[in-house]
Amino acid sequence: MESDGVGTVDLGEDAALVVALRMGDEKAFAELLDCHYDTMLRVARMYVATVEAAEDVVQETFLGVIRGIDRFEERSSIKTWMFRILVNRAKTRGEREGRTRPFSSLQPELEAGRPSVDPGRFIADGRWAGFWGTPPSTEHLPEARLLAAEVGGRIVAAIDELPPSQRAVITLRDVHGLSATDVCDLLDLSEANQRVLLHRARSKARATLERYLDEGVEAGS
Amino acid sequence: MVQPEFRCVEFVEMATDWMELALDDHDRVSLEEHVAICPHCSEYVEQLRLTIGVLREVRHEAPPPAARAALLEAFRQSR
Repeated sequence: MESDGVGTVDLGEDAALVVALRMGDEKAFAELLDCHYDTMLRVARMYVATVEAAEDVVQETFLGVIRGIDRFEERSSIKTWMFRILVNRAKTRGEREGRTRPFSSLQPELEAGRPSVDPGRFIADGRWAGFWGTPPSTEHLPEARLLAAEVGGRIVAAIDELPPSQRAVITLRDVHGLSATDVCDLLDLSEANQRVLLHRARSKARATLERYLDEGVEAGS
Repeated sequence: MVQPEFRCVEFVEMATDWMELALDDHDRVSLEEHVAICPHCSEYVEQLRLTIGVLREVRHEAPPPAARAALLEAFRQSR
């Protein structure tokens, strides 16, 4: 299912979606489900121990959406509202499982001092130390939409390898287009920590993209 | 040639703060001076933007069929 539109809902589209759901439009509900289920599962995994528990939490979240849509007051976007339900339920479930707050161990995920780009790619010494030695290729970059079909899966696989809070932040920000403020609020993060997690995650995702682009250059030459 | 205040190795670490508009004016101006004269860092930023663009376009994995069917049924029942 394409994430078309849903990633960038403006308030008008959001209102139309809420009305469609209230009127029992199954297609609208199916689209909501198909575009958010995988992300919700990723976010829920930050709080609960197993995939099965995370699936339960996502199931409960959508049941909560079905029950709550008539009372939804549109003070936030529907997306933020749904993720708020998810995080609340996941936290409750996690607490029942006896798990502590997921971000009590946030510090290692900030990866202080870890370089975003392989240091070997910068000139080591002399006047130009710290400038690119092996710079990113300047090949013409393809369009995101075209590239998504080719390398999207690989970038998502790379994101799945990230520590849980890096994964949650990049997914909510870049896949679903939530604002920094909403993500800080949802995940109880300071603005600075949210940015560090986003930086770590984006740097690694970019490296995956670059490897793919470089393969294309080698194959073409 | 005068060296810019930030080197490339620093630029890549500050790129997210820059894109998130989280730098103070001094650092922002210095970083923008760097990227204006450094085609490699400019390319780096393009790749970051493209990565974000790809993520926005990415296909979502479908929910497990049983879970999907159960939720669609719950939605139908509720209306």
